[in-house]
Amino acid sequence: MQAMPNFPPPDESMKSREPGDDDAGLPAGTEQSDLELVRRAQRNERGAFDLLVLKYQHKVVKLVARLLRDPTEAEDVAQEAFVKAYRALGSFRGDSAFYTWLYRIAVNTARNSIASRQRRPLDYEADLSESEQNNVAARLKHDDTPEASVLSEEIRVTVNHAIEQLPEDLRTAIVLREVEGLSYEEIADAMDCPVGTVRSRIFRAREAIDRALQPLLD
Amino acid sequence: MTRAAFVLAACLAAFSAHAADDSAKDARSWLERMSEALATRNYDGLFTHATGRQVETMRIVHRVEKGKAFERLVSLDGSGREIVRTRDEVHAYLPDRRVVLVEPRGDEGSLLKALPTPGPKLDKYYDLSVSKGSRLLGREVAVIDVRPRDIYRYGYRLWLDQETAMPLQTIVADGEGNPVEHIRFTQLQVKDKIPARDIEPSVDATGFQWIRTGRKLAAMPQLPTNGGWRPLRVPPGFRLVASRLQSIPGSPMPAQHLIFSDGIAAISIFIEPGAPSGPRPPETSSMGSANAYSTSVKGHVITAIGEVPAATVREIANSVAPVQDVPPPAANGQPGGPAR
Amino acid sequence: MTDQIREQLSALLDGELPKDEMGLLVRRLEKDAALRRAFGSYALIGETLRAPGGRIATTGFAARVSAAIDDTAGVTPVAQPGLAAGAEAQWSPGQESAAAAMNPAAAAGAQRVPLWQRPMVRTALAASAAAAAVLLFRPDAAPVVADLGPPPAASDAMTNASPTPAQSQRLASYMVVHSQYSTPLVRRNVLSSLLAADPGITRVSYEMGEAP
Repeated sequence: MQAMPNFPPPDESMKSREPGDDDAGLPAGTEQSDLELVRRAQRNERGAFDLLVLKYQHKVVKLVARLLRDPTEAEDVAQEAFVKAYRALGSFRGDSAFYTWLYRIAVNTARNSIASRQRRPLDYEADLSESEQNNVAARLKHDDTPEASVLSEEIRVTVNHAIEQLPEDLRTAIVLREVEGLSYEEIADAMDCPVGTVRSRIFRAREAIDRALQPLLD
Repeated sequence: MTRAAFVLAACLAAFSAHAADDSAKDARSWLERMSEALATRNYDGLFTHATGRQVETMRIVHRVEKGKAFERLVSLDGSGREIVRTRDEVHAYLPDRRVVLVEPRGDEGSLLKALPTPGPKLDKYYDLSVSKGSRLLGREVAVIDVRPRDIYRYGYRLWLDQETAMPLQTIVADGEGNPVEHIRFTQLQVKDKIPARDIEPSVDATGFQWIRTGRKLAAMPQLPTNGGWRPLRVPPGFRLVASRLQSIPGSPMPAQHLIFSDGIAAISIFIEPGAPSGPRPPETSSMGSANAYSTSVKGHVITAIGEVPAATVREIANSVAPVQDVPPPAANGQPGGPAR
Repeated sequence: MTDQIREQLSALLDGELPKDEMGLLVRRLEKDAALRRAFGSYALIGETLRAPGGRIATTGFAARVSAAIDDTAGVTPVAQPGLAAGAEAQWSPGQESAAAAMNPAAAAGAQRVPLWQRPMVRTALAASAAAAAVLLFRPDAAPVVADLGPPPAASDAMTNASPTPAQSQRLASYMVVHSQYSTPLVRRNVLSSLLAADPGITRVSYEMGEAP
């Protein structure tokens, strides 16, 4: 990622992060908004929960993939974590951020899944039939797929390229928001423009990047 | 409609009826496999149990030795309650009350023999079907629907592991499909062997009061045609499957215990002679998909409890009446007989 | 118009959407798959900028979660008082009606996502059952029954009496006994209920004069 005019050269936050850092990369200032969505979900507005899923799906999948022995199971387990979270919503009281709570559920789900899956191939059941034994062996062979890594690299490249193509004001706005975690008001201050303009610029930046991403993800 | 079209339509109709029949038959055989797995396999798992009010996590350990099943069910949240089936008894540990309820085990005979076989009669009261479901716990599952044909009983949706037929998830719903209870395994090991110590209770019951609610009384295989109490009204399909005496601590007279079942759900009716102190208020209790209703009839306390909607147990309990007939032989000391 | 809505989505992701605009947006999102896709994409963009690398959720993941939730149609988020300032409790025990007591799921404000699309029972009875009206069982072919005498009359109108420990215990022991006669399909549910609930915790008393 190139250095941007009027801003300090890229610091650590722009480099590829080690796994384990991504839970620190939380979009700032959305706690209240998340809480409101949770509250709506508790009142059976399913769309509100869907929004939370859409917002945190990648974080959770990424997190779970790190924890599992077999990353190809990550989506199954992540799905389970979200379903669990949905069913436990009634007990979420808002004393922590929603994502913190979700994070704990995801970690527990991954741990339980390791515990239950580990035992299947390792607890050598005396009466496994031959075909069952073959299946177990086949499962063990599947390691992480190269496709997954390639896709996320492609996404990274596409996003970065799209950002570079943006007009400066859009680029600045979205980087300040997503990377520096500034609020709209702080960005408006930094860019010396009204909040409404900030909101519009960030939106247009996202739209442009989204257009570039769509072919990759369809 | 041309004749050909008519014949084709008839064939299609027959085919889909046949297919529905097949699906029901398929579902029944899945249910059989499931019952067998639950009774005869060794397993250890964690599951969540959710009703409209709360979600709890529990552990179940099931161990079979020499044709006898041992089991331990323990709540991992809050209450710390635990139920253990030992060789001869069922112990229910209630740490919140510092009490252990002890009940002799029903005579199960051979494990498999005790299992009800879901017969074709079930189709009269439930609509059974099978479909494929999304994976659970990384396993392929078959989804069995047991839809009640009336409002007197509950329905079930079961996610059965294709390989072992263990129920990985169960939802109990009322006749309109509204969920009432939800049980789901988050972890399950089906094993070759389970160590005996895993069945031992984890509760420290020092200082607890042990309450033996049932002395071993001779079970009566048949309700005598004379004497006793009967419900005048039961939902269609429920048949009397057992009748026995239940001793009550602190009371010389045992209660009569009738068990009705339609093959899926069971309803117990207890008739206690002599209300403890004055008439007892009618009351409903709801515990997940189990409902209980107590009322008082002619100085007896009638309690109906079962895996059916609350209105059903209420109806049944309210319809229980003494059967006026030839007085029973006095030898077995059973209560009832002519109305007092 | 769509742009305006998508801009709202963008603001929502940043936590900068006024609360009163959320309701409409959430409802729109429930119906519009393209909006959902867009929101997911915006979230992905942020993720990629902050923490590139690692696995991401594939297309359709959120839909699969939603389907899994529907599949289970399960139990129900219920708002807890005190979640946020101004959040009202969804229900309080004193307001339970008899009807609600009949259907614990209803009492808890359960999400009515039925398991089955069409109820099997389409009679007026089904509707009235919720109000715990008279159920009409087919009478069993029963032997002659003694005269029941007058129905339990209103000699004592009972109010909500909380169960004595003895009554609770008796109920618990009945449950234990009963569980031994339950079919395998349901026995675990019954025992789990015993472990989870304090039998008697959800009690509603009826006036003795109430006819069945």
